[in-house]
Amino acid sequence: MSADLGAPAHPTDALEAPDRASVPTPREPISAEGLAAPAAVAHASDRGARIVAVAIALAWHVAIGLPAVLTARAQFAAPTVVLGAWVLVAVAGAVAGVRLLRGSPLPPWPLAGLLLAVDAAVFAAAGEQQLFTAANWVWGTLGWFFVLALWGQRVVGLIALLSTHALIALVAVLGHGPDPADVARYVMYVYGTFSLPVAVFVGSATIVGLARERAAVSAADHAMAAERDAAERGRRERRDRLALAGSAAGRVLGELAAGQADPDDPEVQRRCVLAAARLRRLIAESDDVPDPLLHELRAAADLAERNGLPIDLVTIGTPPPLPVEVRRRLADPLTGTLADAQGWARLTVVSSPDEVVVSLVTPDREGPGATGLPPGDHDDGQVQYLYERDGNIRWAQTRWQR
Amino acid sequence: MGADPVAAMTGDRPVGVAIVDDHPVVVEGVRAWLATEPRLTVLATGDDPDAVLRAAPDADVILLDLRLHGRMALDKLAELSAAGRRVVVYSEHTDPQTMLAALDAGAVAFLAKHEGREHCVETVLAAASDRPYVPPALAGAMVGDPRPDRPMLSDKEREALLLWFQSMSKASVARRMQISEHTVKQYVDRARIKYTRAGRPAATKAALLARAIEDGLVRPEEIGIYRSQAAHDRPTP
Repeated sequence: MSADLGAPAHPTDALEAPDRASVPTPREPISAEGLAAPAAVAHASDRGARIVAVAIALAWHVAIGLPAVLTARAQFAAPTVVLGAWVLVAVAGAVAGVRLLRGSPLPPWPLAGLLLAVDAAVFAAAGEQQLFTAANWVWGTLGWFFVLALWGQRVVGLIALLSTHALIALVAVLGHGPDPADVARYVMYVYGTFSLPVAVFVGSATIVGLARERAAVSAADHAMAAERDAAERGRRERRDRLALAGSAAGRVLGELAAGQADPDDPEVQRRCVLAAARLRRLIAESDDVPDPLLHELRAAADLAERNGLPIDLVTIGTPPPLPVEVRRRLADPLTGTLADAQGWARLTVVSSPDEVVVSLVTPDREGPGATGLPPGDHDDGQVQYLYERDGNIRWAQTRWQR
Repeated sequence: MGADPVAAMTGDRPVGVAIVDDHPVVVEGVRAWLATEPRLTVLATGDDPDAVLRAAPDADVILLDLRLHGRMALDKLAELSAAGRRVVVYSEHTDPQTMLAALDAGAVAFLAKHEGREHCVETVLAAASDRPYVPPALAGAMVGDPRPDRPMLSDKEREALLLWFQSMSKASVARRMQISEHTVKQYVDRARIKYTRAGRPAATKAALLARAIEDGLVRPEEIGIYRSQAAHDRPTP
């Protein structure tokens, strides 16, 4: 046995997936659902906000920017540059919007770089006369395209972009000669271009966060309710079996007390042993969340017991999630041996995060070896199998080590 | 265990046992078990530890049902152990945490109620001479101890505990490990002695440790870290 048998639990990663997929126990679908639901709700909520952002940007660009640009095109210092930039941003914005709605946004920072270059070019090409008119469309529109470009990023990035935008505008304003009135107008414009995009950006992120949180809370509630149901069901089953086992024990005790049964009668003794073993096993069952391996072994023990074999099943620790293949190799050889067992049986499971050892001991009687794997030792690299009979006991053991 | 350690310790007087259990039928059953062993004599029984000890202040070993009148008597166990009373806990509560908690509190041994007469007699005899006896259920709890501060056991000690827990036959464990039965018992007992380090100090733990050193089961240098503790909580003669 390795020295780390009792090592503290740590997450098992690679082994978990196949096992979880194939063994439905009451808890697993719940937790999967519990994880997926908040994400789906957040996604749906985020999609609504994205549609709004794309619509605002494109509508503003087309409905307010375009008429102003066309009306004032003769008064620009370099009309071709302003118009060309408008078309470029329209195309880039449309592509970015479509990609964003499809969930595969364009890379944010190259797009932001392009927008800033356009910003500088348009400020230079607009000329002093159109600096503060609607024809200088980058003032109002570009902030919305920044929002599209940086969707899903942190708000700091958006503020940095808008600040650069404000800096470019300041250079343009001061470049035409510092006029106190222009500076005042500049401040107003900067405030206007900052406030709305930032508000929408932060607002939508907050709404998505809230939606995610609410969904997570409600999913957790559901999971808890389902777990409670499962625990309650387990408890009911156990209680029913306890009642069954208890009545068997009660009957034999009653007969003994009434003198109808003779304590020396081997049949009465056998009934007592069987009833006691069954009660003991029920008392020992304490897992509220059924482990697939223990579940299988318990089922095998129940079957053997129904065939009249007194059997003890003692489990120590909880097995880590194991791949189906490993679980099968751990359980199958022993359940095979159990089918042949006579007299009594002791089934034990000792588990730690790094090791699971299952053992079956039965009295050694005359007769053939167990069905299943032939007697002897096997080690297939994953699970070691030992079987021996020493005239006293038959002892089968499987051991998995990480 | 030696040929007759009990006699060596108690002279010719049989070991006095007190039984504390709130189920009269269990008391009678255990009394019947112990009656088959001439080296043991039951001095008092009852459902209140204090009353039983007043009736039998010289009891060498107390068999204590851990669950008395619906509550776990771990505090009482710790109190008795701290006072140097050799308490063998026996209980139907055989979940590993309970068993380890009983050892931590200073119980000399833990016996599952279903483990039967032979283990019961063996355990009481060993306890009377401050020697360890590890029934299979306790071996399982020790080998599966998940606590981060559990005692460090050697690979052989773990293996011996595991196989003893599985097979309940030291002869079979010996064959499987290809060692003598005596060595199997030594591995198991040494693991138990290492548990005298766990939990709060108690006079009973110090006594177990001292006897183990006397018997040559462990050497003081092997257990460096609990040598100081032994010095600290060893009862003054």
